[in-house]
Amino acid sequence: MPDNKKRLAKLLIVDDDSDIVQVLKMGLLKNGFAVEAFTNPQEALQSFKSDAESYCLVLSDMRMPLLSGIQLSKKIKEINPNVKVVLMTAFEIRHEEFSKVFPSTQVDGFVQKPIGIKDLTDKILGLIGDTKNRKKGDEVE
Amino acid sequence: MRTESEDNEESIQRWFDKEVEDGENTILVYPSTQTIRQIYSKYVKDQLVAARDQEVEGNNNNNNNNSRDTNKQSKSRIILIAPFYETVDSVKYQLSAFGVENVQGLIDSGSLVIADSFQSFFPDINDMKKLIDSLSERARKEGRAGVTAIVDVGFFFLFGGDSKAADLISYEASLAPKTQDGNVKGISCYHWGNYGTLTDADKEQITQGQKKKLLEVTESSNTTS
Repeated sequence: MPDNKKRLAKLLIVDDDSDIVQVLKMGLLKNGFAVEAFTNPQEALQSFKSDAESYCLVLSDMRMPLLSGIQLSKKIKEINPNVKVVLMTAFEIRHEEFSKVFPSTQVDGFVQKPIGIKDLTDKILGLIGDTKNRKKGDEVE
Repeated sequence: MRTESEDNEESIQRWFDKEVEDGENTILVYPSTQTIRQIYSKYVKDQLVAARDQEVEGNNNNNNNNSRDTNKQSKSRIILIAPFYETVDSVKYQLSAFGVENVQGLIDSGSLVIADSFQSFFPDINDMKKLIDSLSERARKEGRAGVTAIVDVGFFFLFGGDSKAADLISYEASLAPKTQDGNVKGISCYHWGNYGTLTDADKEQITQGQKKKLLEVTESSNTTS
């Protein structure tokens, strides 16, 4: 019997700035996502490992102590190559910054902070295959 | 030596002022971004704001006494802050929030330099040394007391992998524990989470057999060796 029950698209947010984590979490929850958020990337990785198939996208800061966003994205992709990874940075995104690790590390997108919740939601939906017209409360298959 | 948390702020500043001498390259391990913000903010406030006040006083004395020596002695250090886990604008904001008045004025006068550590290390890690050398040269030309370079080395931990330690050790190896007649206090800043990933052998090489002074700051206390 097919399972017709819809589930929320689950996101993992990682940023060492707790204020940013809170703002993103609240905004994305409001926009209908299920969100797990961490300021410690190692804890985020542990959470991901414990339920890797449940996440559809990881949104991570790039420059973090303990485990950088680049290192985290490598580990995430090793565990579940299907999950999308988006890196955030407050710095100018320069191609050289990533060419050192690409194409060995697959990152699906970048966003430059600060970014509004609407733009971020559009970016996420674009990556996980939903429409831009999705409204609050809608669910993702 | 371990110091209780009440003494933390004072002992850190004493380390900057008294224990780290001109010409020395040292290592500071910090527990959180908030802590390193407090450290550099207090240092800038103590060094530059006080020096600015002295310069005004010195200039007044010069007008009265026509003494060039007084003016030379009162010239402030150049402080370089090279953050990795926060932006240049964030550092400016933190300094202002800490009570450092007219941050832009300090930058414009050449006393304060804030540079993104990534852009100073990449693509050539020697670019950071070139930047510090140029500040050292300028400090001499301008008759300043010297340079304090507070450089976050988080860059070396960005990509991970086997090359991390090698590049870092190579960089630290290029910084002598002590240079005679040097005018730079070099402080390589490590987040504890990064420093903790290094092996004992790596740490031994980075400190050049513990010849470099090390200040390890924790949330509740700090340790020096």
